[in-house]
Amino acid sequence: MESNAGTKETRSNLTASDGGEVTAFESLQFTDEIHRLILAPTTDNSSSFTALLELPPPQAVELLHSPDSPKLIAASPPNVEDFQGSFRFPSNSGLIERDARFSLFSGEANNSNEKRNSPESKNVSANPEKNVKSEPAETESSQPLVSDPTVEKRSIKRKDRENKVKGSTKKSKTVANENSEDAEKLPYVHVRARRGQATDSHSLAERARREKINARMKLLQELVPGCNKISGTALVLDEIINHVQSLQRQVEFLSMRLAAVNPRIDFNLDSVFTSESGSLMDSNFPSLVMPAIWPEVQGNGHRQQYQHQWHLDTLQQPVWGREEVCNNYITPENSLLTYDSSANSATLQANHLKMEL
Amino acid sequence: MNKYNPPRMNPSSLRSRFATRFLRSLSKINAKKPTASSSSPTEIFRRYRRIKVAADKSMAYSVRSRRTWSRAMLWKLRTRPCCRRSVKTSTIVRKTRHEKQNKNTTTTTGEDGVVFGVEADELRELVPGGEAMDLYNLLDETAHYIKCLTTQVQVMKKIADFYSP
Repeated sequence: MESNAGTKETRSNLTASDGGEVTAFESLQFTDEIHRLILAPTTDNSSSFTALLELPPPQAVELLHSPDSPKLIAASPPNVEDFQGSFRFPSNSGLIERDARFSLFSGEANNSNEKRNSPESKNVSANPEKNVKSEPAETESSQPLVSDPTVEKRSIKRKDRENKVKGSTKKSKTVANENSEDAEKLPYVHVRARRGQATDSHSLAERARREKINARMKLLQELVPGCNKISGTALVLDEIINHVQSLQRQVEFLSMRLAAVNPRIDFNLDSVFTSESGSLMDSNFPSLVMPAIWPEVQGNGHRQQYQHQWHLDTLQQPVWGREEVCNNYITPENSLLTYDSSANSATLQANHLKMEL
Repeated sequence: MNKYNPPRMNPSSLRSRFATRFLRSLSKINAKKPTASSSSPTEIFRRYRRIKVAADKSMAYSVRSRRTWSRAMLWKLRTRPCCRRSVKTSTIVRKTRHEKQNKNTTTTTGEDGVVFGVEADELRELVPGGEAMDLYNLLDETAHYIKCLTTQVQVMKKIADFYSP
């Protein structure tokens, strides 16, 4: 907002060719402008300022700095000679060259003025050290008060560039506004759509859908091992399909394994069953067996206990077997057991179930 | 395995729920076959099918009807024609279709972007209940299904390792 107002103001100033105000304003807006100058590309809109004034660049500069320019031109020749003897410019050979040319020209043109303005130039050359020393470290915020030619010329050039940039930012701001409007609607455009086609509601919804799908794909990619390196949705999807298939086959294989293995377990359980059937068939089955077993059945719920049991030594195996027996015994043949045990186990199992759910 | 003990596993987690259900149904299956003829191949195959169904069912029941795939799986298991639904044939059909579609994918995978029809169809056949899903839901269900399958495989592997060291 502020910069917009600033540009408008400078434009009006430029049309009025009121250089002094411009410089005053420039000194205020200087850092801002430099930042923009750094950020914005200066190359593409090089003709914008001159196009604005419809003048060739040097003339425009002179117009811009009309109050300053006689003084500047008058002041320049001795100083430039002085400075070029004693100081070197920090950078930019092009600048030096242009400087030299300009000083030559001004020297030719204003030889007569030289004498007249010499006190001022003396005054300037009395403290050239300060001015020029401050120049390299000059952070663009300090407009030179004295019309030291080198600094002044630099600043002229800077201003010139700046104004160009200002014009370009003015121009590019509208473009950028459009762009940002577009950008917040369309995060990315993979397929070039024709004008106005990319912003209608249908394609926006389509884009949102695609985004959601891509997020899901990313999640799946994390889920499936070895899928992160693959790029290309079709390949990733193929990998996911393979993974699902392999998992399903693994389940089949494991159930086959369990089916093949179980007869032995059955036999084992049967033997355990027959060995303990005497005690199991007692009327005090629940009181004897259930307290011992139930904690382990509880352990079913907490799988780590289960794993613990599984990986313990063989001493635990009979316990496990007994538990199995108990389960086997209770579940199909509740009616055969004593009433207490069946009721007990049923309620306990119900409790157990509830706890798990 | 002791390192699993300190962070006490949540008893209401999917894994433990599945483990309990599956072990219960497994013990039921074991209890129903106490005869000596249980080592014959046909008997083993029957047991295999029962165990497979039990695994699917306990998985789907532990997920409950929160997910589309579990609902579809439960429905499928409930409405299967009197336990004669052979898992084997369905896998064979799946395989042949996979082979058939592999030829198609080689021609159509060049299309980049989100439009992948053939792979999605293939995935729809793999994920239960995925036939009527759009792509986003299909991917969502697939993610959950993969998680559940991984859990199922881990638990079953543990049990199988325990039974046959």
